[in-house]
Amino acid sequence: MVDGLLPCDRWALHMGRTVRVAALGRAAAVVLIAGLMGACATPPPESDKEALAGFREANDPFETANRLVFSFNVAVDNLILQPIAVTYRDVGAEGPKPAIRNLIHNLTLPLTFLHALLQGNMERADLAAQRFFLNIPTLLLGNLAPAQTEEAKKRFYEDAGQTLQSWGATSGPYIMLPLLGPSSVTDALGTVADFLIDPVGAVTSTEISIRRAVSGAVVERSRNVDMVRDMQAKSVDYYTTVRSLYRQRRAAEVRNENIDIQLPAPTIALDSERESAASDRD
Amino acid sequence: MTRVLRNTALALVFVAFAAPVSAAQGGYIAHSETFIRKLAEQAIGTVAAKDLSGEQRRQKFRSLLRDAFAVPGIARFVIGRYWRSADDKQREEYLVLFEDVIVNTWADRFSDYSGQKFEVREAIDARGPQDTENSAIVRSVFYTDPTTPVRVEWRVANVGEIYKIVDVVVEGVSMANTHRDEFATVIRNNGGNVEGLLVELRRRREATK
Repeated sequence: MVDGLLPCDRWALHMGRTVRVAALGRAAAVVLIAGLMGACATPPPESDKEALAGFREANDPFETANRLVFSFNVAVDNLILQPIAVTYRDVGAEGPKPAIRNLIHNLTLPLTFLHALLQGNMERADLAAQRFFLNIPTLLLGNLAPAQTEEAKKRFYEDAGQTLQSWGATSGPYIMLPLLGPSSVTDALGTVADFLIDPVGAVTSTEISIRRAVSGAVVERSRNVDMVRDMQAKSVDYYTTVRSLYRQRRAAEVRNENIDIQLPAPTIALDSERESAASDRD
Repeated sequence: MTRVLRNTALALVFVAFAAPVSAAQGGYIAHSETFIRKLAEQAIGTVAAKDLSGEQRRQKFRSLLRDAFAVPGIARFVIGRYWRSADDKQREEYLVLFEDVIVNTWADRFSDYSGQKFEVREAIDARGPQDTENSAIVRSVFYTDPTTPVRVEWRVANVGEIYKIVDVVVEGVSMANTHRDEFATVIRNNGGNVEGLLVELRRRREATK
């Protein structure tokens, strides 16, 4: 039975068996397997080579479930996060805003330092440590000194997902996490790991960590309200746009925003030839 | 001794001929940078002008778009492998729709322009060993406001005297590749039929009229 199955379905079956082994009962296992398999998108048949290639390229075997979770996330965003973010943007006093952003950023520096070290990037680790310690005296005031503005333009973050990829892990299939948004298998594992190993989390309570995460979300959201609305309205397929943006942004973060010269791009030759030709390297 | 002299002479000859050739080859990088600078000036001067009607702005944008961008080439790249499965009528309609949707989506954004800074930083060579065309990446920064720099990279392809923009990468996100993923998914979810994409593009064009 297992032979005819695709990787995603095989994984679903494995999960189900594990659950059963964990003595949750046969019925629960069956329901879980059925549910998880439903989450697996159906790949095109072997005979349709082009479609199959496209399916593999998209690397989104959980597309069915992902789209459901995405709809949920968009609904939560439209109904809850966006109104709060817009209120913060429009009604919140302007004065403390840079300070709040700086504060939230400063608190991410210890984790960035840790991951820069793990990636072997001493320069970045040094920079992160420097900024953090320089900012400690005025931590709660959010560092409004003019020198910070130039620095703010070059903020960077490192996290477990990036570290894993710098060690050679591939990003893995796309996953849309409830509330947390787009992710990948590697990045999701990274998020869990970061929650556990964040140095700042070690010295503050979970409740404060959560409050910090939520405030961060509101602040960042308030800065991209119009852009997101624009994107949502003008995308041919919003779900795919978000997936593509997420992946490309992630790849850019992993290579520390260096230019990717080898990115596939159109050519002038394509411009003048209307017929399909050997240039179909996809 | 003679052999050494001869080899040195040969080497010098090669260097002498190589230098002008590589200067000419490297010229496309500098030209690409100038190309983008000029384009920015034109765009700010014409498309972003204050007293334009929506229709006029779109017309100006469209003519600039056709001049500076390899629109059919980008369209062809974005639809990818599905170009093969489209018939002639669909291909023609796709190319028209593609350009229309770009014009409708982007021209209006220029009406919001209010003097934000746009700096062209440098141009670097992007020509790979397998490439048949010259290619350069022009790095620039657009300040949506004085504290928010946005990195924009322009990929400029060059053949002979022709320079065309083939991709725009904003903060590491390639417009051509983003739309390629998008269109491929729409077609795939439509059973591999290009018509599904055309329906979506027609809808998009109507919605942004």
